[in-house]
Amino acid sequence: MYLQKKLQKLLKPLVQPFFAVLIGIITGAVAIAIVGEPILDTYIVMWNGAFGNFYFLTSTLARATPILLVGLGVALAFRAGVFNLGGEGQMVLGAVSAALAALYFPGPPAVKLVAALIAGMLAGGLWALLAGWMESRFKVQLLISTLLMNYVAILFASYLVAEPFQDRSGSAALAQTPMIEQGAWLPKLFTGMSVHMGFVIAVFCALLLVIILRFTTSGYEVKMLGLNPFFAEYGGVNKVKVLLLSMFFSGALAGLAGTVEVLGTQYRYVDGFLTAPGFAWTGLMAALLANSNPLGTAVAAILLAALQTGAMGMERNTEVPLEVASVIQAVLILFVSAKFTINWWKLRKKEGDVSGTV
Amino acid sequence: MELFDYSLFVSAIRMVSPILLAALGGALCARVGIFNVGLEGLILAGAFSAIVGNHFTENIFLAVLSGVAMSVVVSLVFGVATIHLKSNPIVAGIAINFLMLGLTTFALRAIFDVKGAYYDKDMAGLPKVHIPFLEDIPVIGKLISGHSPLVYVAFIAAVVLYIFLYRTVTGFRLLAVGKNPAAARSLGLKVTTLQYGAVILSGVLCGLAGAQLSLGQVTMFTEGMTAGRGFIALVATMLGQSHPIGIIGSSMLFGLMDALSIRLQGFSMPTQFTAMLPYVITILAMFFLKDRGTDSLAGQQSSR
Amino acid sequence: MANLLEMKGMSKKYGEFLANDGVSISVGKGEVLAIVGENGAGKTTLMKMLYGLEQPSSGQILLNGKPVTFSGPLDAIANGIGMVHQHFMLFHDFSVAENIVIGHEPKKFGFFKRNDAVRSVNQIAEQFRINVSPTKKAGDCSVGEQQRIEILKVLYQGADIIILDEPTAVLTPFEVDELLKTIRFLADQGKSIILITHKLREVMKVADRVTVLRNGKVTGSVSKTETTSDQLAQMMVGRKLQKLNERDNLDGDTLLKIKGITMASKGEKPLLDKVSLTVRHGEILGVAGVSGNGQSELIQAISGLSLVNEGRILLKGNDLTDQPVEARRAAGLSHIPEDRYLWGAAKDATVEETGLMGSQRKPEYNNRSFIQKRAFRSTVKEWINRFEIKASSLEEKSGNLSGGNLQKLIVARELAFKTPFLIAAEPTRGVDIGAMEYIHDALIEKRNSGDGILLVSSELSEILALSDRIIVLYEGKIVGELERKDANEERLSVLMAGGIENVPTKKTSETS
Repeated sequence: MYLQKKLQKLLKPLVQPFFAVLIGIITGAVAIAIVGEPILDTYIVMWNGAFGNFYFLTSTLARATPILLVGLGVALAFRAGVFNLGGEGQMVLGAVSAALAALYFPGPPAVKLVAALIAGMLAGGLWALLAGWMESRFKVQLLISTLLMNYVAILFASYLVAEPFQDRSGSAALAQTPMIEQGAWLPKLFTGMSVHMGFVIAVFCALLLVIILRFTTSGYEVKMLGLNPFFAEYGGVNKVKVLLLSMFFSGALAGLAGTVEVLGTQYRYVDGFLTAPGFAWTGLMAALLANSNPLGTAVAAILLAALQTGAMGMERNTEVPLEVASVIQAVLILFVSAKFTINWWKLRKKEGDVSGTV
Repeated sequence: MELFDYSLFVSAIRMVSPILLAALGGALCARVGIFNVGLEGLILAGAFSAIVGNHFTENIFLAVLSGVAMSVVVSLVFGVATIHLKSNPIVAGIAINFLMLGLTTFALRAIFDVKGAYYDKDMAGLPKVHIPFLEDIPVIGKLISGHSPLVYVAFIAAVVLYIFLYRTVTGFRLLAVGKNPAAARSLGLKVTTLQYGAVILSGVLCGLAGAQLSLGQVTMFTEGMTAGRGFIALVATMLGQSHPIGIIGSSMLFGLMDALSIRLQGFSMPTQFTAMLPYVITILAMFFLKDRGTDSLAGQQSSR
Repeated sequence: MANLLEMKGMSKKYGEFLANDGVSISVGKGEVLAIVGENGAGKTTLMKMLYGLEQPSSGQILLNGKPVTFSGPLDAIANGIGMVHQHFMLFHDFSVAENIVIGHEPKKFGFFKRNDAVRSVNQIAEQFRINVSPTKKAGDCSVGEQQRIEILKVLYQGADIIILDEPTAVLTPFEVDELLKTIRFLADQGKSIILITHKLREVMKVADRVTVLRNGKVTGSVSKTETTSDQLAQMMVGRKLQKLNERDNLDGDTLLKIKGITMASKGEKPLLDKVSLTVRHGEILGVAGVSGNGQSELIQAISGLSLVNEGRILLKGNDLTDQPVEARRAAGLSHIPEDRYLWGAAKDATVEETGLMGSQRKPEYNNRSFIQKRAFRSTVKEWINRFEIKASSLEEKSGNLSGGNLQKLIVARELAFKTPFLIAAEPTRGVDIGAMEYIHDALIEKRNSGDGILLVSSELSEILALSDRIIVLYEGKIVGELERKDANEERLSVLMAGGIENVPTKKTSETS
């Protein structure tokens, strides 16, 4: 009896994602059928593209790294009760700052590496903090300001690498910085594989966030602010401080995502290399899918990365276009927020209760 | 080239119509208490379907109609998710935006077998409307005459919406639903029906906005061609306090910035900075919103 | 008198809980029926079934002898039943006339004929002698006026049976008298009135018959002429109320001192106007007043949730005026909030988390910024035992607790701070009698131990039962101050209406 209850408690939060995944898979199947490919075979090709062998598996993990970090940032902001849609801008500013720090900070390579990590987190954090400050001081809606600030940040970074800091060594004038010296790179975890130290950093951050949110005073205050800001204020929580700190670290995590991509994969900032694959938005989806649970976000990030690497494999081997993956992702999000079945009934009943108290 | 001349305002009027149409759609939703973050996706759906319709029917009217139809279908999905399944409208709106970004890109490959953008030089865009007599008046004629029909539709829609909201019984009830849903329900007003009505109408308006985007200014579709216009429209909605006439004003501001950013490219300024202009202005505009659009800490609190 | 409406054997079950158990009532044409009972007796549930907002588990509604079923308010309205809700269902941005005609607007080709609306409203207002100004915005109307809008709305809809749910809770005594006159007049015009209330004085003034509910059952149904207030009270409560704890006379030193605080938005009438007061050790200072006369602002000013424009707030001599909430709590303030769902808890937080608020940085429960969950859990369990809080586990969501249990949890949390000063705002609003007695006892006990309490309540009986001294707020000002021995309902009522007592008053508040 006790065991059953425990099991139910464990399984209940999974019901919702399960339905969403199911609908996502069905939607994908419809899309595949429209293109005229066999559904099951295509899914098998997809699976192999994501997890088929050690190389593909590590590629998936490498792709999951920035997604996970941005996702953690979004999850943290959610917990504090705000929508940080600015992951992309924070990530890009973090990446370009990290690249510039690694290039121009004086000192031995190891120092450059540390400087780059700090610069990347600071840049992302401060950019997010600006939005948080506008919200708390001037009531500028964070949801929209963070989103619009993305365009500003991306265009600004693009300007930096197209004009003052452009790499002019090559023959073609690409919009990118020069390459960072090898000593300041984040090492690969396995030779020849794309997964790098950044993945370890990301998993560490996820664990750290779990501990902070569950066991510390600050985590408690963040959570209460998110659940009911009036209650938090009444209880003596400094609303503004907690909001600003949450936003700073949310942005810092996004900045870190961009940083590890620069230091572990590209070794330079290339215009558009973070925005084209949609890392930030996938991270947002991972956080939404996991209902802002950090460990869940990690799992969701890996799954979504697998969906993308799998789709790439699928595109190589079949006629189905890559974008099936983004359709499946969007459907996942649309339905993970819907209140189905059990939850639905509960909600109905609760509504009655609420009107009962007025 | 001058920085400000009347042709800047001509292009501003052209640029304003997608924002104005979408902002009116956003206002309708806001009036029934739904914060529609999915405008971006709705416009994109309209823009793409309009091109598809144009490609297959070669009839510009049917093209616009198919854009509208698609947008309405998508808005219905949004409506079911938020009204019926009680999703958080912000999450559902974001999901709609992504869904449409993914679907249009996917369909671009599946239908036209191209990546990035679809362009066909033989495809006819929206015609220009020349208003007799008026167009002969200097300056004013150029300003008012010679736009695509959807530009006029946008301004007419604003006026019609104003009359609808403030002069008709249905409009009055719609306002009531947004102001106090509990009271509206206790009076037996059909809250859900009115909400669906508003969401569907916003689909129609966003479909028109999309058609103007893909058939009005240029005759092509590019991936993610809305580039945040849906969100700018959302700010225009808030800045105009969800009042049709106010929205004309706020949309004009953003249209002018759009036009200005293109005009500035002719000057020796990096394109990145000129392209930033509409976004920066929009953020600055939000400082004047103050308490409008609810306290976002409270409003956004449930992330589920 | 023939019965216009009859409800027979109405029962309503919510899960295991029987909110109504075979309740029967009847009303004749032109009759005023009062339904009385304590909080949670089932009055509201019964009326919801009559108005179509809830479906009965069993029972029958007869209208003119014919059985009817209502699937929603629209059905009820169509059958001539109208309801004036306790919390007004008004659109503040709409005009009075718009608020009255909504749902049945005069129209032509779908266009709203607003002028016709104003005309009909004037006509109906005249007919029933209810005074409103149709073109005014509803939000600008006084509470009494808003209630008249609600009554007119119901009349406009053509109701013959009008349900009034706790109509006097928000009114000044003068407005109450006006309302009672209106009710009588409507009854004389042939309307049937169902008055839901727990105020027996009003019942004795206006009702023809009285039905008493307790724990979902009818405990009495009598004609007014055959009963007394005391008898009704006996039927409502079912037993003698427990006597409150003994109170010792304490002459304590000054604990909280407030000097001339003012709170106002720019260019508007101040919400608090130069309020000065003192709370001493071992004293309960009651703050009486019709709700909305500055009580909320006073609480927020003292607890630090809003800042004052001028004046000082001193606790034990420490100036708290510009301090944030946390510092005030540390300085010795705890606070039972007036709205437990808005301020007092987070619905989705667990019982444990709701209980932890305010203690999260206390050294007992905090080790290098890690929360000592084990230590805290045993504390919460102690509260649960002591206050008999019904919660399935510490992991249960606070929003799932019943109102009374959540309130007890909040009271336990705030008392556990053992601060010298406590703000108790509406400490027993909407809780059952058992919980109420518990909370009252706890408050008296705290007072007797030498702590000071500021009690804000809209229930005069609560104020009178607990306070050592009473001040009355009216439009943000203190308009009177009474010692316990001098206070009674009549004197307070006059002050609450803004009237100055005829007796030469002593200075309304201490000058400082």
